[in-house]
Amino acid sequence: MAELQELTQVIIKGNRAEAKRLTQAAIDAQVPARQVLDALVAGMDEVGRRFQRNEVFVPEMLIASRAMKEAMALLEPMLVKAGIKPEYIAVIGAVQGDLHDIGKNLVAMMWRGANFQVVDLGTNVPAEKFIAAVKEHRAQVVGLSSLLTTTMPAMQATVKAIKDAGLGSLKVVVGGAPITQDFAKEIGADGFSPDAAGAVDLVRKLLAA
Amino acid sequence: MKRQYYLDLAARGLRMPIGTDLVLHEKPDHDAIRLDGRRLGAVVAEAATRYQTPLAIPLMDLTLEKASLLGLLGIPYAQAAEFHFPDSIAAETLSIVESRLKGPLDVRSQAHVDAIKIVATDRSLVSSGMCIGPFSLMTKLLADPITPVYMLGAGTTAEEDPEVQNVERALALAEMIIHRSLARQIEAGAKAIVLAEPAANVAYISPKQLETGSDVWERLVMQPNRRIRKQLGDAGVDLIFHCCGEITNQMLRDFASLDPVMLSLGSSRKLWEDALIVPDNVVLYGNLPTKSFYSDTKVTEENVIQMTRELITNMCRTGHPLILGSECDVLSVTGCECRIKAKVDTMLNCSV
Repeated sequence: MAELQELTQVIIKGNRAEAKRLTQAAIDAQVPARQVLDALVAGMDEVGRRFQRNEVFVPEMLIASRAMKEAMALLEPMLVKAGIKPEYIAVIGAVQGDLHDIGKNLVAMMWRGANFQVVDLGTNVPAEKFIAAVKEHRAQVVGLSSLLTTTMPAMQATVKAIKDAGLGSLKVVVGGAPITQDFAKEIGADGFSPDAAGAVDLVRKLLAA
Repeated sequence: MKRQYYLDLAARGLRMPIGTDLVLHEKPDHDAIRLDGRRLGAVVAEAATRYQTPLAIPLMDLTLEKASLLGLLGIPYAQAAEFHFPDSIAAETLSIVESRLKGPLDVRSQAHVDAIKIVATDRSLVSSGMCIGPFSLMTKLLADPITPVYMLGAGTTAEEDPEVQNVERALALAEMIIHRSLARQIEAGAKAIVLAEPAANVAYISPKQLETGSDVWERLVMQPNRRIRKQLGDAGVDLIFHCCGEITNQMLRDFASLDPVMLSLGSSRKLWEDALIVPDNVVLYGNLPTKSFYSDTKVTEENVIQMTRELITNMCRTGHPLILGSECDVLSVTGCECRIKAKVDTMLNCSV
C-alpha cells in the first residue's frame, strides 16, 4: 500500500507529525495492525542500515525513533487487540559507575524499532537492579553498556552476577566504545555488537539459536 | 606564554601524555587528594616531572563545573553526576545562578583552583587550567540533548518547543558557570587553559543537517566558545583546545579558528591530514589511542611503537608542529595500571 510505504518514508525522515497522521489514517482505514507495525519497523531498519553505512548520524536516528515512538503510541491499542506481542523482552542499562547513555539509548531505540519490549534501567545501574528487572519482566536478553575503560571491571562483575543468579536461558549482550569481541568473550557475555544497528541481529541470532 | 613557546616545545620533539590521573591513582587516598588543593597541585607537578614536560596539565575532571552549577542551586554533589534538569528550566534559574556567581567555590572546584596556584609557584612549569566547554556542559545538564539540538538546527524555536528552550537555557547556564570557573583559574595563575569540548562532535550535531545550511553548530558550539576565547585573550591566557570526539574537517577548521596555541584531537583523526587544515602556528597534540591501552588485544606494545613512528614520520613530512601524546587524559583502569603505564612509556620513549 502506498500509504504504508509513505509511513516507512516519514519514519526514515523523522517526521513525527506525518508519522502520527499516517498511522492514525491507517488505523481509521482498518489496515491490519501487523501491516502498520511492519511499515514502522521497516523505517527503523532502514535508518539502522543507513547509520551503519555512515549515511546518517545519531541525531537522525533519534529523530526517527521519536517519530516511531509517537506512531507506536497510537498503534499500541490495536496491537494489543490483535494479540500482537513484542518479539522479545529486553532489559538494558549502562553498568555501575558509567553515566553515559547515548550508546545505550541507541540500542534501546533500535530494539524498540524492531518490536522488542525494552525495559531501560538508565545509567549507573548496579548488578542487582539488572537481575531484579530480568526477573520482574521475564526478559530473554539483557544488554550492558559501558563507554569508559574505567567501568569495564563493573561490566565484568555485572555479567558474573547475572550468570551466577541462574536466570535460565537469559542471554547477556554487551557493547560500548571500549568493548571488543575478545573482552565480551573473556567476561562470559553471550554476545557483542560493535554498533546499535547490529544489536538487533545479534539478539535475533542468539535467541533463535 | 607566547605562542612561540609551544612551537619550540614541538620543535624539540616533546612527547607527553595527559597523565595526571595515572599519577593520582597511585596514591592510596586519591579521592581525598581531589579535595585538597595543596596535595592535588603536588600530583599535577609530579605528573609533569615524571613525563618530563613543562606543561602541567590538571586532572581532566569535566564534572567540576556541572557540580558547581548545581551546587549554586542547592543540589548536593552526590546527586550532581546523574542530575538532569526537568522538562522546563525556569527563567528564574538563570537569574538565581547569576546572583550567586560571586560566592565561594565548592570544595572540589576550590581544590582545583588551589592546585593551579600551587603549580604556578614552580617557575619551571606552565601552570594550566582545565574546563569543560559550554556545549559539552549543556549536554550533561539535559537527559536528551541530541533531539532538541537537532530540532533547533531544523528551525524550531524556543517559543515553539520547551525542549529547545531548555537547550538554550542550559547553554546559558553552562556559559555562566564556565566563565566564572575560568576567571577563578586565571586569578590562581593559570597561564593556559585546556578547554575540553568532547561533545562537540558528529554524535551530537549531524553533519548531514549542517550540509543543509543549518546554523546549529555556529550558534551552540562556536559562538559560546568564541566568547570564552575572548575572555582568555583579554587575560593573556593561552587556549589549548581539546576535542576527542569524531568531527568533520569543517568542525576542525572552526576549532582552529579559535586560534588555540595547541589543538588536541582524538585518535579518529589522522593528524598529518589535519596538518593541511590547521594553521602552521597551531601545535597539534595527540593522538595515540590511549583509551585502548588497557587491552593487549586492541593495542599491543608493537602497535604503540608502529603508531608512534607512523605519526612522527608523517608529521615530519608535513612540517607541522606536533607534540605527540594521548588522545585524551589517560585514565587509570583498575587491574590494568601496569599495562597502561608501560604503553605510555613506550609511546614516549620508542625510537623513530
